[in-house]
Amino acid sequence: MTAAQMLGTSLLLALFVLLAGCYGVLYCLGRLRASRGIGRAALTAYALQGVTAGLLTFSPLEFWWKALLLASFVAYLPIPPLTWRLLESLHEPGEQHS
Amino acid sequence: MYRSQQLALKYFTAAMILFGLMIVAGLLASTSYVLDGFLLNKLDFSVTKMLHIDTMIIWLLMGFIGSVYWFVPIEFERETVGIRLAEVLFWIFCAAVAVVAAVFIFVQYGRSTEMSLWFINQGRKYVEAPRWAAIGITLVVVVFIYNVVGTAIKARRITGIMGVLMVDLIPLFGLYLIAFPSMTNMSEDQYWWWWLVHLWVEATWEILIGCIMALALMQLLGASRRVVETWLYIEVGLVLGTGILGLGHHYFWIGTPSYWLGIGGFFSALEPLPLLGMVVHAIYDAGAHRMKTTNRPAFFWVLAEAFGNFIGGGVFGFMMTLPQINLFTHGTQWTVSHGHFAFWGAYACGVLAVIYLALQKSRSAQQLDGAAWKWSFALLNIGILGMVGALLVSGIAQAFYERAMGGSTLQAYMQGQTNVWFVQGIVMRLVFGLVFAAGYVVLMYDLLTTGKKRVTAEVLQPRVAGGPA
Repeated sequence: MTAAQMLGTSLLLALFVLLAGCYGVLYCLGRLRASRGIGRAALTAYALQGVTAGLLTFSPLEFWWKALLLASFVAYLPIPPLTWRLLESLHEPGEQHS
Repeated sequence: MYRSQQLALKYFTAAMILFGLMIVAGLLASTSYVLDGFLLNKLDFSVTKMLHIDTMIIWLLMGFIGSVYWFVPIEFERETVGIRLAEVLFWIFCAAVAVVAAVFIFVQYGRSTEMSLWFINQGRKYVEAPRWAAIGITLVVVVFIYNVVGTAIKARRITGIMGVLMVDLIPLFGLYLIAFPSMTNMSEDQYWWWWLVHLWVEATWEILIGCIMALALMQLLGASRRVVETWLYIEVGLVLGTGILGLGHHYFWIGTPSYWLGIGGFFSALEPLPLLGMVVHAIYDAGAHRMKTTNRPAFFWVLAEAFGNFIGGGVFGFMMTLPQINLFTHGTQWTVSHGHFAFWGAYACGVLAVIYLALQKSRSAQQLDGAAWKWSFALLNIGILGMVGALLVSGIAQAFYERAMGGSTLQAYMQGQTNVWFVQGIVMRLVFGLVFAAGYVVLMYDLLTTGKKRVTAEVLQPRVAGGPA
């Protein structure tokens, strides 16, 4: 791995997780405000995470790391909706915050 | 107020003083990078760095212990068992910390003998405290466990959160014992030492702060026990599932078998997943309360904890955790950048939230708010962001020029140290360190004064909607 490849790959890895965070945050904000625009922004963030994962497949990382990245890209998709659903089911009307 | 909670306030006071010492030591250490020969042969970089790291561990530990002493009587609805012994040990703990700090500052080092090991420095990073003091810390933890478990037995009840906490205290104590043996084989020594450092930080401390935050959320937002306990079980499962074998990312280059490259890389890559869940939870809670609470400082520090943990631990960690990248980044300022951000986000913000919570109750303040906490919140967070950003620039310069281009030779190391990106990053780290220090001063002012003034009912009216139950 050359110096430039090392730097490019590490920055893409950071971007990969950062975009996952953006997707999670925007998804929640979209649900909170019932805003389709923010919901679309969340999906855009997730799509950009996919682009980042795609770019990482061209990096000098070994095959298994690339496969892991693609698998984790898929795994990130249901986390915000599933977490949200779980939180909603936990916060039943009688148990809302006072 | 219970005596246990009065003891908690003492722990918080000691923690905040050590937080200040940590900042002073950090500023001195970072000045050594900027000014050649700064305090050379008087207070060397090796000493100030050691003080910086050790005070960080002790202030957080005191913050955790204080938090638990605060919540135990609330959970069990009775005074903590053995509280007198705990009070005595608190003062012994403080005296021991003061003596160790004095020895580090004034004696600094000794001959390569057992005597030095026992009375000056054990020589292992993060757990340098001499052996007598390490035994003392062990004793404090034993009494701490006795307090918690004894109270549960006496109360004849156990809650889910306290159950998790009690189980967690076993490895918290057990793993610290690894600080004692001194091994001559470097790989063997590092292998076990990482059990202590990593498994404390990314397993037992994570669970401890998870329990503390669960208890804090019940007080702060009036969250139902069922909600926080369910969430705690899920997070504990995920954090342990990814965190324990994430230990492998410390085993890449210390002489351990090569299968650790795969194990460490794989589980480290999974570590951001539960952190994303935490972010979702934080936003859900913030939305459910429309950012309204009677303790805004605590609420914002809880939010900062979720986001800081995700970015500091998740984003900054993932950037350099895969073995092919880590080959270039380990041991550079890049790692330091990640360490600063992750500790701040995962632990410091949480402890500060609990301190504000305890102050509100102890001062019987209906509401905590004002300008000071906002200034301290902004300065501390801008300071830490600036520091980690500057360290990241320096670390990238090291990894790029010294490691990847220079091949990690001594000459490349020296060239890396004078590289303009590295130097500018180091200078900016000091500048933002001063911003952080300013934030600490305002924080201390706020902690000393907040909630002491009575607030009128009219002023309170708009903000009490989301107050504690």
